[in-house]
Amino acid sequence: MDAANLDRLVDTDRVHRSVYTDPAIFELEMERIWGRAWIFVGHESQVAEAGQYFATTIGRQPVMMTRDEAGGLHVLFNRCAHKGARLVGEGAGRADKAIRCCYHGWRFGLDGRLLSIPMADGYDGTRFGKGCPEADVQPLSRAESYRGFVFASLAAEGPGLVAWLGGAASSIDNMVDRAPGGDLEVTGGVLRFEHDSNWKFFVENLNDLMHPMVVHQSSSLTARDVAKAELGPEATMPPALQIIAPFTESYRFFDEMGLHAFEWGHGYSGGKTSIHAKYSDVPEYNAAMEAAYGPERVAEIFAVNRHNTVFYPSATIKGPIQTMRIVKPLAVDRTVIESWTFRLKGAPDELLRRSILYCNLINSSANLVGPDDQEAYRRQQQGLRAEGAEWVAMHRDLGREEDLGEGHLYAKGSSDLAFRNQFRAWKRYMAGVA
Amino acid sequence: MSTADLARHHQVSQFLFHEARLLDERRWDEWADLFTEDGVYWAPAAHDQPDADFHVSLIHDDALLRKVRIARFADPNAFALQPFPRTAHLITNVMIDEDDATMGRLLTTSRFAMFEFRADAQRIYGGAYRHELVVDGEDFRIVRKTATLVDCEGLQETVGVYF
Ligand code: FES
Ligand SMILES: [Fe+2]
Repeated sequence: MDAANLDRLVDTDRVHRSVYTDPAIFELEMERIWGRAWIFVGHESQVAEAGQYFATTIGRQPVMMTRDEAGGLHVLFNRCAHKGARLVGEGAGRADKAIRCCYHGWRFGLDGRLLSIPMADGYDGTRFGKGCPEADVQPLSRAESYRGFVFASLAAEGPGLVAWLGGAASSIDNMVDRAPGGDLEVTGGVLRFEHDSNWKFFVENLNDLMHPMVVHQSSSLTARDVAKAELGPEATMPPALQIIAPFTESYRFFDEMGLHAFEWGHGYSGGKTSIHAKYSDVPEYNAAMEAAYGPERVAEIFAVNRHNTVFYPSATIKGPIQTMRIVKPLAVDRTVIESWTFRLKGAPDELLRRSILYCNLINSSANLVGPDDQEAYRRQQQGLRAEGAEWVAMHRDLGREEDLGEGHLYAKGSSDLAFRNQFRAWKRYMAGVA
Repeated sequence: MSTADLARHHQVSQFLFHEARLLDERRWDEWADLFTEDGVYWAPAAHDQPDADFHVSLIHDDALLRKVRIARFADPNAFALQPFPRTAHLITNVMIDEDDATMGRLLTTSRFAMFEFRADAQRIYGGAYRHELVVDGEDFRIVRKTATLVDCEGLQETVGVYF
């Protein structure tokens, strides 16, 4: 696929269906988007202590985040320097002083440095062996942490993490600032929901504010009905129903939430309010926040209430409910979405309990809300096989976004701005421009 | 095993089979009525998961959430459930682990397989059931049903129904 052909697949207001269906384009995305962008790896709390590692994937490549003896943080390829065996299994683990390869017993420090080879003198006089940089576990080209969120890039060149996050970094700030202790901790396990659809449907949908009131009727309206019938119309809903009910807020509510877009495809919906704004207060939490920051600063922190923030293409967070969904593309029509929860350090357990409840109800493969989104993507994946119509629309409110300066665009919630902005970045990455 | 033990085992097995049948025959309201008022249905997301409060679960439903889920089953806008999944729940290896006559409480473990036909494909789920039951006259009611999939930590596609 040459550059000119790729260029023709994305207009400012529409995209060609093949970007979702063509395996060759998916392969190019792996190389040019997932191989270039900053991809979320993990959170520093997962490797808080020396010897800990967390193994995951970037695109389809095995990588691991590690903490060495001196406290240094590394993102390395999870691949033995000898004959390539994957070194550790996916997920979190601890290796104490060394990672030992299962195959020929080479040992590596958590900084990736080769420590020992059985019968090492066999390499004497060859161009491999101890002291040779290729005999270490190889680091990724770049790795950086922003307030505990670790991203890495397979590309040597490109903007630094902070510049790349741009205005969207403020969503990470707000999530961290919600911790009275000023820090987050990943906890509570992971949900791994497999989607039989292209990864882009998911990242688009998170800021598609014209879908919730349609897709989520069967769960959200039902939750409202059950609450009314069982508890009475005036009763305060229990936390579970408070979480589900707002998905069928009105078009007007979602429109007023608004959309914010930034360079590199990032963006968020909501800002002053979102579907997370009306959860019952937890008084001990508010007290802990006030003690930590003072009432004025707390008011500022709580005045920011965002729905989904997308760090295109791999990471999405919900600050007000302290959850994260991570995008892992496997094939043109297969994607895994992982859901993680965070503890706000210094906050009462009630907050973590609510984050867990949220994930169960919305993000689990077996639950009430997410499966209907997944079904919509599945039907898109099927529908777009049709050759009679070649284009996918994103015209709504074209040209009516406001430029707030420094690459920050704003539009009302019903706008297709988020999609246009993601495909602007898509086009830029795919053209090979760093 | 004494005759009384055999009869008890039969009674408990029949209760579990009946529960499975209600799920397969989509008799949701009758199924929900098998639970006590504070009865809990739980499908954990990890094998060593200590609780459902501070660790995510595939499903963790109290009576109210069962009501919402069951009402959703009948909703024409439940797109992920169109057409509604067909299931066959098979239960085997039924063991009564505790049978406390004074408290009127029982603990049973069993193994299950659930065949589900959804979205043009058949999927097979398997795992362990743990039923905490209370004696209710001649019958039992469920205080807590835990369905732990052998692959609850693995990748999960959409699951339409209760295991
Ligand atoms: S492949 Fe790792 S030691 Fe040989
Ligand atoms: Fe949705």
